[in-house]
Amino acid sequence: MPAWLVLTVLALSAASCVDAPFSERQQAERVLQRSRWGTSSVYTPARTGLADAARTHFGLRADPVQPFAYSHRVHLAQEMACVDCHQGVESGPRAGLPGMNTCMTCHAAIATEKPLVQTMAKMQAEGRDFAWARVYDYAREAHVRFEHAPHIRAKVECSTCHGDMRQQDVATRVVDMDMAFCVNCHTQKQASNDCLTCHY
Amino acid sequence: MAHRWGMVVDLDKCTGCEACVTACHAENNIPTAGATEAGRGRAMHWLRVERYWEGDFPDVKVKFKPVMCQHCDNAPCEAVCPTYASHQTDEGLNAQVYNRCIGTRYCANACSYNVRFFNFFNPQWEKPLQLQLNPDVSVREVGVMEKCTFCVQRIKSGKSAAKADGRELKDGDIQPACVQSCPAGAIIFGDLNDHESRAARLTHSPRGTKLLEDEGTEPKVTYLQRQSWNEPDTQ
Repeated sequence: MPAWLVLTVLALSAASCVDAPFSERQQAERVLQRSRWGTSSVYTPARTGLADAARTHFGLRADPVQPFAYSHRVHLAQEMACVDCHQGVESGPRAGLPGMNTCMTCHAAIATEKPLVQTMAKMQAEGRDFAWARVYDYAREAHVRFEHAPHIRAKVECSTCHGDMRQQDVATRVVDMDMAFCVNCHTQKQASNDCLTCHY
Repeated sequence: MAHRWGMVVDLDKCTGCEACVTACHAENNIPTAGATEAGRGRAMHWLRVERYWEGDFPDVKVKFKPVMCQHCDNAPCEAVCPTYASHQTDEGLNAQVYNRCIGTRYCANACSYNVRFFNFFNPQWEKPLQLQLNPDVSVREVGVMEKCTFCVQRIKSGKSAAKADGRELKDGDIQPACVQSCPAGAIIFGDLNDHESRAARLTHSPRGTKLLEDEGTEPKVTYLQRQSWNEPDTQ
């Protein structure tokens, strides 16, 4: 292979590895690409191909990749509660994911010397926010509509479904939320087991 | 006492504007089939407005009738479903469970009102239209039946909001998309077990009829209209 070709290939691959600063539009596009709607220009609820179908069948799912190495262990050791960051969980269907402003409420003053916190301060100044990846999610075909609030009211601990976050740094999937998991608990607590409770 | 959801449609108020149809499509992620497939009878409208013409031109009278799933107490679709996908809930909803549905289409054939629809295709939305999909409602894939749910997601969130505030559910707290969007206020939704609710009171109105009542399906939707269209306007 001629040397100039090797050099060109190396240069091109190096260029593609550099993490260039993203414009706002590129950032938005990346979020869109990472969204659960897939990457095709047409949205359809079908699986994208045979490989996708096989992955769903065997329950193989890629671990979520988070944009920030947030440590749950460190924060929970500081006596923080889950609801401090995951707001709305007591009143609505979703447990909110914290935005930049939520983090900077504390980090404007706390641990400002840490490099990650400095990056956050820079991002906030530029008006950028996190694009958190979902850790727990249901397959589209499952048709599950989960609501957090009724479970919180029924005194279900966060750890019942999400594992002990005090042991985890970046959140990982530790509980297998299959239907038996839900139905067992519903039976124990005498909650409704009608299909329409969750599937609609 | 458990709720028993029901609906009243006042045909004397309906102007046939089809705002309810549009709202229903938007709320429930109902795809449009396109002209060709609609011609083959594959269009899906959980709620449609039927038009009835009386008389010859120019003395024509038109009546509009919004028809959605009647959530029958004695539903023919439920009896024929081999997988329990179509069943009656404790609150009187005629539920359609997409997970259980294997697409036999028996229910659509059994339904007297033609309000059940089969997904002949995977629904598609050109990007970025998928961003307007309602996250509280499933997007149904090819091979399952679907139909009006009385906006069960709104019933759930209404009940949940009332519980979060620590109050009782009031009449009018829950509004399906068609009820909310009707500019004439012709559609009323409520708990038929709550005798004070508007829907329960109007259900017993002397103007009330039910669709295909003599079939014995016992629908939970009541239609209000003057007893004869030819009757002079006396009200």
